[in-house]
Amino acid sequence: MTKWQSTLLAVWLSAVFVAAAPPLTTSTTSWWGPGQGTPLPEFATYDNEQGQLGVLNTSGQLDTKGHPFFEAIGTNGRACVTCHQPSDGMSLSVRSIRERWTATAGKDPLFAAVDGMNCPNLPPDEPRSHSQLLDRGLFRIALPWPPQRADGTRIDPEFTVEVVRDPGGCNTDPRYGLNSATPTISVYRRPRPVANTKYTTHQNFGVGPFIGKNGMPSATDPETGKPTSMNLMSDARAATLAIQADDAAKNHLQIAGTLSAAQIARITEFERQVYVAQVARRDAGSLVEPDGPPAFGPRNLAADDAGVLGNNTTRYVFPLGAKWSHLPRTNDETENARNASRESIARGHDVFMFRTFWIRDSMHLNSVGLGNPVKRTCATCHGMHMTGMDTANGWMDIGTTNLPWATEVPLNPWTEAKPQMPLFRVTCKPGVRPHPFLGRVIYTQDPGRALISGLCNDVGTIVMEQFRGLAARAPYFSNGSAATLRELVDFYDRRYNIGYSELEKQDLVNFLGAL
Amino acid sequence: MNARHVISRRTLLWAGCLVSCAAVCAGADGPSRNFVSCPIVRDTASVPCWLSEYDGELYYLTIQSDVTSPVTPPWLGHRVLVEGTVSAEPRICGGIVLKPVHLSVMPEPDASCNTMLPAEERYNLTFEPPRPPGPSKGRLAFDNAPPPARPSPAALPSTKEFLVPYDFDALVGFNHARVLTDVLEFARAVNAREIEIVGYRGAARLSNGQLMLEESDVGKRRAEQLAALLQGANLKSPSYKVTWQDESARATGADDYAIRRAVVTVHAGGAAR
Repeated sequence: MTKWQSTLLAVWLSAVFVAAAPPLTTSTTSWWGPGQGTPLPEFATYDNEQGQLGVLNTSGQLDTKGHPFFEAIGTNGRACVTCHQPSDGMSLSVRSIRERWTATAGKDPLFAAVDGMNCPNLPPDEPRSHSQLLDRGLFRIALPWPPQRADGTRIDPEFTVEVVRDPGGCNTDPRYGLNSATPTISVYRRPRPVANTKYTTHQNFGVGPFIGKNGMPSATDPETGKPTSMNLMSDARAATLAIQADDAAKNHLQIAGTLSAAQIARITEFERQVYVAQVARRDAGSLVEPDGPPAFGPRNLAADDAGVLGNNTTRYVFPLGAKWSHLPRTNDETENARNASRESIARGHDVFMFRTFWIRDSMHLNSVGLGNPVKRTCATCHGMHMTGMDTANGWMDIGTTNLPWATEVPLNPWTEAKPQMPLFRVTCKPGVRPHPFLGRVIYTQDPGRALISGLCNDVGTIVMEQFRGLAARAPYFSNGSAATLRELVDFYDRRYNIGYSELEKQDLVNFLGAL
Repeated sequence: MNARHVISRRTLLWAGCLVSCAAVCAGADGPSRNFVSCPIVRDTASVPCWLSEYDGELYYLTIQSDVTSPVTPPWLGHRVLVEGTVSAEPRICGGIVLKPVHLSVMPEPDASCNTMLPAEERYNLTFEPPRPPGPSKGRLAFDNAPPPARPSPAALPSTKEFLVPYDFDALVGFNHARVLTDVLEFARAVNAREIEIVGYRGAARLSNGQLMLEESDVGKRRAEQLAALLQGANLKSPSYKVTWQDESARATGADDYAIRRAVVTVHAGGAAR
């Protein structure tokens, strides 16, 4: 049991013994409850540990009363906003999750059994039943096995899957597991930000009828017939905002029936006009001064072009300019400290953009014509202007879920720590080429895109996520394995043997935290 | 090399004659060098270059650029089939230049292919690479030409062939999205009534006389996969005629890469043109 779980258990026991007392109230003022009914302003700011996040509604103030994104339209009391909080960059931080647990003794609909528990078969209201959510901010994603196409037909996968380790108990459960009557694989993932969606759904560079990473047909928008960027979800299983809304309403809100066309239209209309980004840092001050760098803030995001390749010195991924590279020093120590922080952000940008290292054995990067290894920079993969995503079809394996690189509990006689994540053994079938970098047998905490495509080469590949609002929505990576931005940077440093200096790491952390 | 690549002594002798012929036939373009070996990556002050050793000599294969490069670098952790022609150009990164060169990454992992050489002043590039190791200067390395003007539907031919090249033993990969898109767009533009696909199996005649055969059913798999991908892209109305041929006997050691292919022929339909 982790320290946090022990604390939660104590809180839970306290809650049980004071059940007759008035219900606890939230410890923060920023939590947006379903059916709250207050308007969402045209521009709102929310404090976070690193500064302040800005949330922009380009359509103006939004009346949330009766709005399907903000109302509990399902059967479990949740709304879309439950897991896509404005204060958390339209995602959900583990900090907010823990605060809700403490405030409601685990009664908030957020902790619904369907996916807010490690498995619905566990005893409710106990912290250990919700450890994935409370420790790492992870929701259970239950996917059919073998995978199915959009038309419901089954895909014959290139590999077999065995459950090696199942701490949540769901994958081996006779009702919910892989050998149940409806074979299902449960993986645990972070909710993605529902904002800046013109970038995640663009029709620009890299979007075509065939996927530029493997030549397979792209997922199309059933309404238009056009190919999509497939950048919306971590496994690209939902091609459009409408499909994602429908999927989420069914699987996360447990809606009775399906969303109406009018509900989908209102949800997606909201999602297409909301922008989030950090607007201030405690150390560097405002990021959105009138003559400030055009990389920052939601207004710049709303104004810029979507789906543009920025891994170049004409558009840049994040157009910072040179203004913050060298700032004056004065007799004002406060201003000097602010300027030093801004210079650190600028240096972090340069590390992101120009610091080369050897990228090796990363599926869908080293396998797409660049060679293995390739001497490049962060911006090679994180190349989309303004977001740092891949421009299209952005699933890659950098080792966040695949062994040997995925973060694992070090097992030894001197620790009581137990593995938290499930572990699957994936075996590419005879007649199928082995994975070029991992071989025929792969151990993974989450097969990622492969659970949708059925392809061996997709095992452990995850669609990279936008870099916006990071300060508001820790932890990071799809499996929440980096608790902080520093842990995220350390992962890359270890994975690719980069050898960042301490200054480079701190500068990168400051840069990422400013986005 | 696995069992299917092992051939008889008589075949080797016959192959040796063919290789000699191929070398002579290569004529002014220089002798061919076809071999399977580990790639080697050598760092430079700019982008790394890719090399490989064969028969005691070091050959330069290519340099790192971007996805638009006609020659894409091989992979450490895998051997590579090199099919090249010795060029008269000065050595690059210490290696004899093979140009043109075709590279096929061998699918089975080989951990012994793991040589990374540090940069040395004497091996630094003497030319500006098409693409620096970091961000570009605003254009892709080999994608300068503007797209051709789209002809009017009336000007489109009634039948058009598309050549789909493959690496050794390979099926569709990242580099096929373009040609598949071309097929799809043409078929839609002419309201295609029939699509003929012929998948070919080839081979590679190595400089040591060995004949490397592609997998026996690769021609069939290529043709069937192309049909499935086009149908998967919602090109379902044309009828599909899918056949395959074994042309591995054509391998001579010269341009064997060209045998490894599929040909897609689109026949226009009626009124929608």
